[in-house]
Amino acid sequence: MTEAARFRAVGKRFGAVQALRGLDLGIAAGETLALLGRNGAGKSTTIALLLGLDRPDDGEVELFGGVPEAAVRAGRVGAMLQEGQPVPRATVKELVSFVASTYPRPLPWREALELAGIGELAERRADRLSGGQAQRLRFALAVAGGPELLVLDEPTAALDVEARRAFWRSMRAYAGRGNTVLFSTHYLEEADGNADRIVVLDQGRTVADGTGEAIKRAVGATLVAFDLAGGSTRGLRGLPGVLALEVRGDRAVLRSSDSDATVLALAAAGLVRGLSVTPASLEDAFLTLTAHDSAGADARTDASAGAGTGAGTGTGATPDPAQSYEEAAR
Amino acid sequence: MMLAYVRLEIRRTLRDTGFVIVGIATPLLMYVLFTNIGASDSAKDSMDYARYSMIGMAAYGALGAALAVGPGVAEDKARGWLRQLRVTPLSPFQVVVGRALTAGVTVLPAIVSVFAAGALVNGVRLAAWQWAAAAGLMWLGTVPFTLLGLGNGYGFSAQTTGVVSMASMMGLSVIGGLWFPVDAFPHWLASISRWTPTARFGDLGWSVLAHHGPGAGTLSVLALWLVLFAGYAVFSYRRSARTV
Repeated sequence: MTEAARFRAVGKRFGAVQALRGLDLGIAAGETLALLGRNGAGKSTTIALLLGLDRPDDGEVELFGGVPEAAVRAGRVGAMLQEGQPVPRATVKELVSFVASTYPRPLPWREALELAGIGELAERRADRLSGGQAQRLRFALAVAGGPELLVLDEPTAALDVEARRAFWRSMRAYAGRGNTVLFSTHYLEEADGNADRIVVLDQGRTVADGTGEAIKRAVGATLVAFDLAGGSTRGLRGLPGVLALEVRGDRAVLRSSDSDATVLALAAAGLVRGLSVTPASLEDAFLTLTAHDSAGADARTDASAGAGTGAGTGTGATPDPAQSYEEAAR
Repeated sequence: MMLAYVRLEIRRTLRDTGFVIVGIATPLLMYVLFTNIGASDSAKDSMDYARYSMIGMAAYGALGAALAVGPGVAEDKARGWLRQLRVTPLSPFQVVVGRALTAGVTVLPAIVSVFAAGALVNGVRLAAWQWAAAAGLMWLGTVPFTLLGLGNGYGFSAQTTGVVSMASMMGLSVIGGLWFPVDAFPHWLASISRWTPTARFGDLGWSVLAHHGPGAGTLSVLALWLVLFAGYAVFSYRRSARTV
C-alpha cells in the first residue's frame, strides 16, 4: 500500500506547551482518516506540520515521499484551515479560479463550486456570504486545485446540522474520486460516520488507531451500571471482567469485557439496584482513551472527575452519557 | 501563476473605495482646487505653481497608492488569506513580489490623472520627453514606498497599519514639500525636508521640469531610503512568516 504521508517520532513544543510527543502516524493513499481529539490534543499542530506551515522540533514529517513544502509547491495538497474568513472585494468565482490557476491539474472552477454546493454563488462577493456559505467557499478553495491529498482542519465547526450533513456529502464525493482525505474533528459521530480510520490524539500522542468499531472493542464493549445508594465502591474494580470504574452521580459505571460475569458477581454481592447493561458508545470509548493519567485511578472514582471529563469534549454536541444510563435504568 | 495573483490583487485594489479616494480622487481634486482657488498676482506665478503642484500632487497620490499595499496585506493576513495562500503552490516569496508588482500598477492612475489634469485643465505644456521622463522616473520612485507599505502590512495588525500608513503619508507629504513648496518652510524644516524620501521623490519630477535629470544627491538619498525600507520589509516579512 502506498503512503501519502508519514510522521516519525514527531515532537513539537510551543513555549512551555508540548503540543506533540513522539507522534508516529502513517496515512495510506486513498484513505479517509479522521484525527479525533479534544481542543489542545495536538490536531491543528499535526495538520500545520503536515502542510509544512510549521517545522517539527524532533522527528520528521514526510509528505508524498519528500518534505511537505515540496508536495505543497507541486500542487499535490489542498487544505481548509481553521478560522479563515473570505477576503473582501473579490467574487467567489475569482477566488476559486485564481487558486485553481496556481495548481498544475486543477478542477474547472465551476466543478469546484458545484462540489462545494455553491454553484449558484459564483458572482457573489466572498465577504457577503453567510457563515455556512463561507465555509463551503473554503472547501471549494481546498479542492479547486484537484489535490491528491485534501486536509480539513475542523471543517464543520460552527455549521448547523443540515449544513454539516451537506458538507460531509461533498467531502465523501471528493474522497470517492480516489483522493486521500485527512480531517480533524472533536465530534465523534463525524469521525465514525465519515472516516475509514480514526486516530485518537490526546496530549500530543496517539491513544487509539483503527476503525470506529475497533476502537469501541479495544476499550471494552459494555457498560454495567447500578445505583450505589450511598454504598462504597470498594472491591468493584476487582470483579470479573471489570476494566474500569467510574462514578456518575450516585451510579457506579463499570466498563466490562465480560458483562455476564460482571453482572453475576454484582448479583452475588447484592448490588443490583437499578442495574443496566448497555453497549459502550464511541463517546465512552473516547472518554476512556483520553482519561488523563494525571487524574489517576482514584480520582476517577470521584463524581466530579467524571463530570469534568464529559464537559471537556463538548457535551452540547453529543448526548450526555450519564443521562442515557438513567434512561436505560427506568 | 504569479501573474494571476497580480491580476486578482489589481482588481481587488481598484474595487476598494478607500483606495480610489486616497490614491486617485483626493490628489486629483486637491491639484485642481489648489491651483485654481485664490488668484495669483501674475500669470507666471500661477503657471509655476500649476507645474510644481502637478508633480507634488502626482507624487502625493502615488505615495498613497504605494502605501495602500500595507493595509491590504494586513487585512489578508488577519483574515487568514496569506496562510491559505501558503498551502497553494504559490510560495510566500511569490506572494510578496506579486503584491509589489500590484503596487507597480496601482500607483499609475494617480500619476497619469494628475498629469492629465495639468495638461488639460491648467494648460501645463511640456516637451514629450519631459512628460515621459517625469512619469517614468516617478513610477520607479514609488518602489521605496511600496517596500515601506509592505513592511507596515507584514509588521502590524490591520488597524495599526491603517493608522501608520495614514500618518506616514500625511507626514511625509507635508515635510517633503509635496503640498506646499519647501521655499515657504522655515529654515530648520527645509533642512530636514532635504533628507526625506518624499522631497527626493518629488525632485525626480521637478528636476525634469527644470530640463535636467535628478542629481546625484537625489539619487543617493533615494537609494538610502530604498535600502532602509527594503530592510524593514524583509524584517517584517520574516517576522510574520513565523505566525502567518
